[in-house]
Amino acid sequence: MNKYDEKWEERINALLDGDLSNEDAEMLKAEASDDRELARAIIEAYQLQKAMDTIHVERAPDSLRKKLKAIPRQQRPAFSFNLLQPRWVTALAVVPLVMISVSLMQPDTPSAAEIAKARQDLALAFTYLDKAGQFTGREIESTIGTTMSQAIAGSVIKNIQSQNETSKEKKV
Amino acid sequence: MKSTILKTCVVGILCMLISAPVIAQEDELKKLAGFIDFGDLSATYGEPKISINIGGTLLQFVGVMSENSNPETSEIMSQLKGVRVFGYPIADDPSVAKEKFSEVKSTLKSKGWEPVVQVNEADEQVLIYMKMNGSNMEGMTVMTVDEEDVMFINIIGKLDPKQLGKVMDGLDVDIDGAIDLD
Repeated sequence: MNKYDEKWEERINALLDGDLSNEDAEMLKAEASDDRELARAIIEAYQLQKAMDTIHVERAPDSLRKKLKAIPRQQRPAFSFNLLQPRWVTALAVVPLVMISVSLMQPDTPSAAEIAKARQDLALAFTYLDKAGQFTGREIESTIGTTMSQAIAGSVIKNIQSQNETSKEKKV
Repeated sequence: MKSTILKTCVVGILCMLISAPVIAQEDELKKLAGFIDFGDLSATYGEPKISINIGGTLLQFVGVMSENSNPETSEIMSQLKGVRVFGYPIADDPSVAKEKFSEVKSTLKSKGWEPVVQVNEADEQVLIYMKMNGSNMEGMTVMTVDEEDVMFINIIGKLDPKQLGKVMDGLDVDIDGAIDLD
């Protein structure tokens, strides 16, 4: 590469591409009339451009195109599903975080099945409670007689009831 | 080897995610004054015969579902914050359960629970305690133990024992066979 190539390459390319302003184009031509090497560089660049324009691009055969396309795939490292690779470890770490975030964002609404199960459990719990109540009632009755039993059991229930009523009054 | 470690990690994460809501529900109840810790007897007796742990959210939903069909049940549910029942078969070795029974009884006393009913028979004991805050009921604990079973019941919130029958009718659940009433 001679000094003119370096110095004028950009201006010559701009001239041939039509990107040079008229003033700059006239200046370059004026310089070329005084400088044989510059003139020759312009002519050579012009001829090269013309030659490039006349080149007819032949379409490669399909078999060759397929082979060429396959080259990058063959050279690429084989895909390996190794979960301990840093990218997979990161991805796996993100999964529970996303699940937790989604579950926290969701309203805490139990499903119909959960509600049905809760009803069943509640009925069972209250049956056990009732059973304990019946047992204590029987024990009190057998120990101190029916009258006293009713008095004691009644006072316990009254006590609980009065607390309910008091809180209802407070609400009102 | 790597695969085994990874599988263990994945299973661990899934278990954490699945158990998180249950733990959260238990933690939510623990903060309430009407909650009482019965401990865990699984090490001695294996899995409990009955284990019920219903938090406030589910109770509210059960109440809402009963609102139209049974307003009384809905009203009762609205005053409950939690229902917990744990029962173990103890025929093989009743001593550990009886020790736990006494331990919970001491805890109830130390935490200001008031004894309502106490039956001490040779072969069966029943304790009913209530936690009051002024005139407000914050919880009820019922414990029964005999030679066959130990049962711990913790009602968190307010419950009128006279309304039990109405609640059970309102729930309209067939529990035949699920419980031995004798």
